[in-house]
Amino acid sequence: MTNILEVKNLTVSFVVRAGNLLLFERGSGMMNVVNDVSFSVREGETFGLAGETGSGKSIIAWVLVGLFKPRAGSVKFLGREINFRKKADLTYLRRNVGIVFQDPVGSLNPRLRVREVIREALIASRLFNQRDHDFRIEETVDLVGLRRSSLDAYPRELSGGEKQRVSLARALVVPKKLLVLDEPTSSLDVSVQAQVLNTLKELKSKLNLSYFFITHDINVMKYMSDSLGILYYGKLLEVGRTYDVVTTPKHPFTVRLMSNVPGLKRAQPQQEDRLGEQGSSATGCVYCKVCPHVFEKCDVSPPMFDSGSDQFVACYLHDKHVEPIASS
Amino acid sequence: MEDRDLLRVDGLTLDYASVDGRVRVLENISLRMKKGEILGVVGESGSGKTTLGLSIIGLLDSPPAEIINGSILFEERDLLKLTVTELSQFRGPGIGMVFQESLAALNPVYRTDAQIRESIKVFEKAKRENFSTADEDKMMIDTLNDLRLDRPEWVVKKYPHELSGGMRQRVSIAMAIVEKPKLLILDEVTTGLDVYVQNRILNILKDLNRRTGTAMMFITHDLMVASQICDRMYVMYAGRVMEEGNTERILNHPLHPYTQKLFAAIPQGFVDSPPLPAPTGEAPDLKKLPTGCKFHPRCPYVMQKCKDTEPPAFRTDDERHVLCWLLEKQ
Repeated sequence: MTNILEVKNLTVSFVVRAGNLLLFERGSGMMNVVNDVSFSVREGETFGLAGETGSGKSIIAWVLVGLFKPRAGSVKFLGREINFRKKADLTYLRRNVGIVFQDPVGSLNPRLRVREVIREALIASRLFNQRDHDFRIEETVDLVGLRRSSLDAYPRELSGGEKQRVSLARALVVPKKLLVLDEPTSSLDVSVQAQVLNTLKELKSKLNLSYFFITHDINVMKYMSDSLGILYYGKLLEVGRTYDVVTTPKHPFTVRLMSNVPGLKRAQPQQEDRLGEQGSSATGCVYCKVCPHVFEKCDVSPPMFDSGSDQFVACYLHDKHVEPIASS
Repeated sequence: MEDRDLLRVDGLTLDYASVDGRVRVLENISLRMKKGEILGVVGESGSGKTTLGLSIIGLLDSPPAEIINGSILFEERDLLKLTVTELSQFRGPGIGMVFQESLAALNPVYRTDAQIRESIKVFEKAKRENFSTADEDKMMIDTLNDLRLDRPEWVVKKYPHELSGGMRQRVSIAMAIVEKPKLLILDEVTTGLDVYVQNRILNILKDLNRRTGTAMMFITHDLMVASQICDRMYVMYAGRVMEEGNTERILNHPLHPYTQKLFAAIPQGFVDSPPLPAPTGEAPDLKKLPTGCKFHPRCPYVMQKCKDTEPPAFRTDDERHVLCWLLEKQ
């Protein structure tokens, strides 16, 4: 199976003016919000990216549509290396990669009717004759399961689920190969979320799309993605096939994450630990300040270890069995 | 029921008056809570769950809110008949509330200690005359320690924006529990937190409930959170309680079609699982509610009767109340 997208050693930095951020690199004034991240998306599949708030998930999404320039690393789309300083490359990227943002309210222009919101994408692409615009818009709206009558409404008149479908229509009105979905259902109610997830799965096979799917909800991640990566403070801690990572997590963080996946059951009362809930280290493993299994070696950031069957783990204990913490 | 109910809501019906007409937000809500019980109020957005919480603690502005009918008895006193001053006596040591968004609920220009002190001052100063700052400090730090906050002395010197979501949420919980309320209303306290932090907060609250016997009302849209912590739950839809009963019984065997659909909508399997059996359509507009049962346009088992008449609450053999004609005994 070919890879539609290959990201290698991606690093994105923010300039830090003041403050005492935990990841602050002394002297340089730069903070790596995404640090040496590599993954690939196979054609026709969904790659899921999970991680806590502030781990840099959205930044990666923005890089993939050219809204952010990486400081280092390479992004290869359909075999073509993207130079983020070349306009032609960015146009190529944006023509083939669509994005649905997290916040359906903030990402739709409140002063435009839905039809115009979607039309903007067509105008910007310059791929369609103006005569065909309306036809194309209506076709897309049917595709994403939006009523045609909503075309003349303003975004505020629509429900949360409908707004996300408008975002989806705007992303797909110019046919795309890859869709970046940044927490597309996190602001929706469960029943509406289920409808949108169903639509997304349908569209994927119908239009032969690949997805880059971001979510913090492991249940949604399991249901949507073929492969997944776990991000923590800008570092990818574990990548692999979803089934493997969920059933046999290798990194201590992933182990903790998977043992905390909420389900429809009464929770077993757990012994409470007093561990800090966050923190990272600038030089060693990003997880070493929190990790219950930390030892001397962790002062040096671990590389990605191949632990077989497409599972890669950034931990020196990758071949050992680690127990979830706070169980005693 | 042997022991007296801590809280009893009977037939609460509430309207919001707006420029384009009146909207019925709560219709004939009845709810009872025993001492030390953990109760879940579950529903999707617009189901009226937050309004219910706010009406119990008496924080709804009137207008626009207008109580049409019903009573809210807290320790046998009708909160709806009290004046504003009388009602404020019941807050703090009586009823505490933690609000939805911790960032919005905390004042951004005060350090967190000032905000926790505020709740202490209001109630303790009235009780004791020689209440010193040192006493305040002790109460504050003890409470934060109870919530297993790391380095509480450091946290209280910070502004809300300097804290992480989990810390902030614990500060707002501290504000509500520092006066050791008998009833704590928690409105979406775990929304927006990471799963691990969410689990920790739930554990801490459960532990607090065990130790102090504080009754808790969990208002949440997240069925999984409710199922993890609540003894009983109330499933709300369009301002009505559709199903009420023991959490385990509801989980194992949901009776109302809405509850069934809600559970089925939660993704459980891997990528090759079949499409989710989601209920069609969206929650109804409260201004244009359907006739009869409010769920009938989305219900797979709809009958003519459902369209004509709204069902009453049927009581089942396992002490559940379900608002559905399917439960009517032939």
